[in-house]
Amino acid sequence: MRLIQSYASRQTVLEAALGRMAFVFDNFEQIIVSVSGGKDSTVMAHLALLEAKRRGRKVGIHFLDEEVCYQSSVDQVDYLMNLFPDNTTRIWLQMEFRLTNATSVQDGQLVCWEAGKHKLWMRPKREDSIKFRMWAEEAQTVRDKRKGFGFYDVIENFERCYSGAAFLVGLRAAGESPNRWRAMVKNPVDVGERKVYWGTKKGANVALYPIYDWNFHDVWRYIHDEGLRYSKVYDWQFRKGYPINQMRVSSLIHERAFKSICDLPEFEPKTYNKLCKRIKGIAMAQETGKTAKMFACRKLPKNFRSWIAYRDFLLKTHPDQSRIRLFAERFSRHLNNEYVARQQCRQLILNDYENNLSVDNKPDPRDELIRYYEEVL
Amino acid sequence: MIALGLHDRAKGKRVSAYCAGNSIRKVFVFSPAKFRLSIPSGIDVEYIEWDEIIQYKFYYRILQEVGKDTLLVVNECLRLQNRYDLTYNCLRLFLNQTPHVLVFQCFPLIDRVDDFMILFDFDTRSRWKREGVRAGLLKECQVECSPIDVSLRAIPVATDGATQDAYRKEKRKLIDGLGLKDPNTIPRNLHLLSGKAKLAHVDPGAHYVGRNNRFGLDNMRTYRDAGYPGACTVFEFCHNFLDFSDFLSLSRQSEVPALVSDLKVDQWYLGRCQEWIGRLHEAYSVLRQ
Repeated sequence: MRLIQSYASRQTVLEAALGRMAFVFDNFEQIIVSVSGGKDSTVMAHLALLEAKRRGRKVGIHFLDEEVCYQSSVDQVDYLMNLFPDNTTRIWLQMEFRLTNATSVQDGQLVCWEAGKHKLWMRPKREDSIKFRMWAEEAQTVRDKRKGFGFYDVIENFERCYSGAAFLVGLRAAGESPNRWRAMVKNPVDVGERKVYWGTKKGANVALYPIYDWNFHDVWRYIHDEGLRYSKVYDWQFRKGYPINQMRVSSLIHERAFKSICDLPEFEPKTYNKLCKRIKGIAMAQETGKTAKMFACRKLPKNFRSWIAYRDFLLKTHPDQSRIRLFAERFSRHLNNEYVARQQCRQLILNDYENNLSVDNKPDPRDELIRYYEEVL
Repeated sequence: MIALGLHDRAKGKRVSAYCAGNSIRKVFVFSPAKFRLSIPSGIDVEYIEWDEIIQYKFYYRILQEVGKDTLLVVNECLRLQNRYDLTYNCLRLFLNQTPHVLVFQCFPLIDRVDDFMILFDFDTRSRWKREGVRAGLLKECQVECSPIDVSLRAIPVATDGATQDAYRKEKRKLIDGLGLKDPNTIPRNLHLLSGKAKLAHVDPGAHYVGRNNRFGLDNMRTYRDAGYPGACTVFEFCHNFLDFSDFLSLSRQSEVPALVSDLKVDQWYLGRCQEWIGRLHEAYSVLRQ
């Protein structure tokens, strides 16, 4: 069959990945696969589990459960953890941490699995999950204390519980993003006597990306050939005619992922219903997530004369004083024009206190064009 | 192979001949809806519209189905100037899977001569994806060029003092009240002002093309139409060159008469269009080398 990339040596990317997997098992005692329930991590976990089964060893399947995710993703992770139970160490983390909620400025952060709110949780905690922090309180690190203990803090602290372990991640860079490829391979890691370009050093551990050279279709081909189950969300998105760059199973409330809420009632009505009860701003995001005026900030609401006025209003009326200082401090370093102000509005609307949606800080390109038309017309 | 300036019938014949000579099992035609190509019966053809190319439900199936015995026809797919647009990237992946590709396009550019490199990428499987137009590089692909010698003939329309006063006021109003609107709305809106003056010069027996049919004329077509009854006179120019090039491709017109008033905006649009024709000739001369 076609549809699988291959190297000049006629080695396919699958063969290359199997070779890498054997290399990982030869060189590491502890191997942990991070999964999200998406197609890439499904392939990654399956490849690792097959190798573990062949060698009669165990691999850790690690899932950081952020509570507000598709039920299909949860089902998929459950499926992966039960594929080869004898070769699997389940590391399903269900602990309290903070997650950015882009859909509401009042409820700007969701405290996942918040104690005392178990009646509101999207679903009950699992019996076999890890519910408490596995590290000592005094050793715990937090990237930004103003933001609190967040998603990446859990990952970092969790990884520090290990030493000399290989964390396998289903990150891919082929075809989609040359920049990601460059970022991935620029800091090779030494494993034994070999320089590994598909990995990076992570403290006392290494993160490895054995399927980094796989394409979209390599992944789907593997899932098909191996008869693996995959998240139903892909099927729903497929039926709706999603473009290939938008067809992904991601978080639901993050500033880069909130658009997935728009189709959630259609895909998973029960999840949507629970989400509405769990956190503020969901119904609003569902209705306006893809419109130009609200979250996209492409069109100025009609009761404002300019983006600058709109930005000042948003800043003035922001319910969280600490965030106002944070945003004001950041904006003071920017140019004060309409072009920049529109992007600042987007950061405010999406509660992007982490500055993930970067601002293109440059003079307004419209000014020059207006001057030109005034002259020639 | 890239074939420039072919008629629909010639394109159909070219596809038939190619299929007969290369044992082609299936043909995929990628084309915007208004340029739908008619291919003689007896060939297994599937039409994929421009908007469908990036849709997952088409993308993967096509990747699965395209093989060494498949012919891909890329018809009038020069729609965007971004060479790295997602739609082009998807098309490239299809094209990489078969040696049989025919690229049909009426004009070799949208606005800049460099736009031709998008067609060049289709034919060369993107081997020179980062390079601009240069004569030496063009030898890497096979281009069959039937130039369409487009020329503009301005039909002058005089405006009265009242229209010119209204023009000056409208210009000021548009600039002062622009707010956050796109600055390109200034020439677009000003250009509409000369419409009434031009109306007196409309010949009921001739066909015209304009931005819209706000005057309710039976013989007025718009740039968005999917076909034209014959040669049309430009009642007013469009702002986007893609619309202009679509109009010329569908009407197959080489000499284009245009009603041009003495308002500055009309002269500006005329000059802009003449510059576009200049760039078109430049592209043809590069391709001939």
